[in-house]
Amino acid sequence: MIQHFPVLAVMSLFLGAFLVEIFGTKREAVRNAITFVTFTLVLILLYALIKPVILEGRVISYWMGNWEPVAGYAIGIGYEVDALGLVFAIIAITAFWLSNLYSFGYMKGEHHLGHFYTLFMMLCGSIIGFCMTGDLFNMYIMVEIMTFSAVALTGFNTDKDGALEAALKYLVICSVGSGFILTGIALIYLQCHTLNIAQLATMLAGRLTPTTLMSFGLIVAGFGVKSFMVPFHTPLADAHAVAPSPISMVLSGVVTKAGVYGMIRCIYILFRAMDLTQMQILITTFGTVTMFLGVSMALKQHDFKRLLAFHSISQVGYILLAVGLGTTLGLTGGIFHAANHMLFKGLLFLAAGAVLHQTGGITDLDRLGGLSKKMPHTTICFLVGAAAISGIPPFNGFASKWLIYQAAYTKAIESGNFYYLIVTIAALTVSVMTLASFVKITQAVFFGQLSEANKDVTEAPKVMLVPMYIISALCLITGVGYKFFASYFVLPAVNSAVNVTNYIDVMMGDGYAAAAGVSNMAADNVMISSWSPVVYLILFVTVLAAACIVILASSGDRGRVVEVTDKDALKHSNFFSGEEPVYSHVSGSDMLWGYKHNFKAYYNIMDKIHTGRMTDYCSMVVIAAAVIIVFMFMFMR
Amino acid sequence: MIILQYLFYILIFPGALFTIAAGLLLAGIDRKVIAHMQKRIGPPVAQPVYDFFKLLGKETIIPATANRAAYLIAPVVSFVSLCIVMLFIPILGFRAIGGAADMIVILYLITIPGAALIVGGAASGSPFAGIGISREMVTMMAYELPLVIILLTVAKKVGGDMLIFDLGIVSAYQAQAGSLITEWSMIPAAVAMLLVIPAEIGTQPFDVAEAENEICEGPLVEYSGSPLALFKLSINMKMIIMTGLFTALFFGGIRTGFVITDLIVFVLISTAVMLVCITTTHAITARLKIEHLFKFYWTVVAGLALVSAVLVWIGL
Repeated sequence: MIQHFPVLAVMSLFLGAFLVEIFGTKREAVRNAITFVTFTLVLILLYALIKPVILEGRVISYWMGNWEPVAGYAIGIGYEVDALGLVFAIIAITAFWLSNLYSFGYMKGEHHLGHFYTLFMMLCGSIIGFCMTGDLFNMYIMVEIMTFSAVALTGFNTDKDGALEAALKYLVICSVGSGFILTGIALIYLQCHTLNIAQLATMLAGRLTPTTLMSFGLIVAGFGVKSFMVPFHTPLADAHAVAPSPISMVLSGVVTKAGVYGMIRCIYILFRAMDLTQMQILITTFGTVTMFLGVSMALKQHDFKRLLAFHSISQVGYILLAVGLGTTLGLTGGIFHAANHMLFKGLLFLAAGAVLHQTGGITDLDRLGGLSKKMPHTTICFLVGAAAISGIPPFNGFASKWLIYQAAYTKAIESGNFYYLIVTIAALTVSVMTLASFVKITQAVFFGQLSEANKDVTEAPKVMLVPMYIISALCLITGVGYKFFASYFVLPAVNSAVNVTNYIDVMMGDGYAAAAGVSNMAADNVMISSWSPVVYLILFVTVLAAACIVILASSGDRGRVVEVTDKDALKHSNFFSGEEPVYSHVSGSDMLWGYKHNFKAYYNIMDKIHTGRMTDYCSMVVIAAAVIIVFMFMFMR
Repeated sequence: MIILQYLFYILIFPGALFTIAAGLLLAGIDRKVIAHMQKRIGPPVAQPVYDFFKLLGKETIIPATANRAAYLIAPVVSFVSLCIVMLFIPILGFRAIGGAADMIVILYLITIPGAALIVGGAASGSPFAGIGISREMVTMMAYELPLVIILLTVAKKVGGDMLIFDLGIVSAYQAQAGSLITEWSMIPAAVAMLLVIPAEIGTQPFDVAEAENEICEGPLVEYSGSPLALFKLSINMKMIIMTGLFTALFFGGIRTGFVITDLIVFVLISTAVMLVCITTTHAITARLKIEHLFKFYWTVVAGLALVSAVLVWIGL
């Protein structure tokens, strides 16, 4: 029974997409019912797989049409679900379920919603299929469906300025990436005459011929494009700025993660090249550059969603850096951060969407301000998300970043390579820069003074607030219970990434891996950790309680809180050096001046690089892919 | 019994009460010594205590532009999180709660009061506060880089080929091998740390965020009454925490054998550190501009720390 669940999950989403198109274009209730039921069904199907796959460590295989391998050669399309794939699929479905709930409020009243939900479910189905398939070409097909539905959804608000341009950029850059992947797969097929990942793993591991090396380089570059690492990051900022917010949430939380997942699947399982020092240096370098460039560009943005988009790039840099370390601790941190990033970045995009929705489409940081008085719930959720992404304990962002710092530093002292110490320092510094850019948003959007134009803004509707509060709670829960999540949710995924023999045997028959001479990577499952959020919370509550007791016991008439009345309005107005107070709001562009001034030369270069022209961006992609391939040919032969 | 013991740790020593008392004492000494350096008599050493209680008695005015909840919660969060940090810093040989948080975690825990100050300032809605939090954030970014390098250098020096972030082990190592300040390769890092402390606390020449005669105390401009008292107290508590962290990192090898004498020595060293890095620099310098501050930390101070990191890395 249970082995049908993965296929059923993917099928129900694609089926739901058709049903919405047929029955859901006219009536809102039917449309919402179909999407909600389908997403809930898939959510249940995938969560039911947690026990056998993640906790018991089983690998579920499913041959489409029962075309099993003949004489050791896989001929049919096989689905193979191990803990690694399932963790990413669960990240995906959780994000989609919440995003779908939110979209009921956010998209209300838009035109062509039938098409919207069709594409939305296609996107979800393709990503889940991508995470669960055991066939390389099937992976490519899913990537294509994913890219095209994401492109169409990005440009969904065609009447919005720049929507078509953003969609076109996204389409062109990602198609180049898909081309890389397809060429890579073709080269592998040329060499090995099979497309099954499990079987290929026995053929490719440790035997990098020039042809497979070429395809390896192309696949790494291709999934690099899909995960939007620098210098492939260029379409993402535009896409996020114009996409509807539920789409922004899944673009950043899930679509970029699909690229990361493809990268992990290929490097760790298909080519098993992660123990090569050069490979580690290649991926960590890309990760570090992505991390720093993303956050430094974010600090300069003055569009709410564009700023968040650059943070997506930066956080994917963290994940790539951790994955590229090639240690189990690093992979644990990376996958955990991928899950956490889906949560907190989703939350931030939903909060941004709420602001955009309620103010009538303003995302310019210089035109907002003081919204916390009008939208208190959104403000609370935003602050939780901001604290989580900036790595403030005890939220989840800190827990996963903390694992990544430890992994990077352990790598530094184990390999004796000073380079990894620099990487660790960069990771720690990027974290405080992240905090800085969220301080900027906090001041520019939620605090400060309310402008005349936004006087009548109201709080977002409940259907939008509920997903935000759910994610806020999850951010705190995964942060406080990070040891539990890391050991029961993430660590099995890590183990399945390093223990390839089990993956191969389940698919191809017992003893296949041993016969082909494949052995597991040495797993060093150490989670050194001396951060205990529970102790911290207990201490916090104790001191807080004591402080409250002291305050209550000593508060008489003295120190009372005085309410504002019209009579003493002057007393409660802002201090203005004795002048009459006027509206003056410190907005986004005014912030962090001392930093921007010092990085002027750097930003001049960045402005020159980010021209906004598609041709330039395409040549960046091709040049970077060439660099990756040349690097591999020079150092990994 | 064990609960009572931990309650004592949390609320009295080395938690809340000790941190408050030591912070106020250090602030008093600071003001007195600066006054003497400037040929004034200065206030009595207990003046910060009087100031604190005076502020508690004042009316709390909430500006009309403020977000009331954030404005009032921020000072409490700042104060409470600082009370806890002191529990994780070893007082020479004595350590109240071990294994719950190490150096890197402490690095993040001491950003919470900064973040609380920023949220509180932003929530007041004043433009002076807006400028102030912008500067405060740039200051935080500025000193975080050298601080990170210093902590990793200490970890490498103590741990060698092992991952040691735990301050308890740092302290135990120094008790055996001698305090880290005696290692010449650690001197640049110690100097860098001495320069980080005044920026973390926000005293001259690094008080750009609060610059009284320029932006009227920045984030604190609208605060009055007990919230202001808590923020002022937080700044004083940061003095003992940062100088205490310096003592734990670089003078951690000193042992007297008794908790009481350890405590006295710890406070004495912290006071000495404060006199060097806070009081003296305060008395002899004028305020920097924010862009110069940022540049100073990312070049000179980070450079000093990096020199130590390289020296330690090659095994000196």
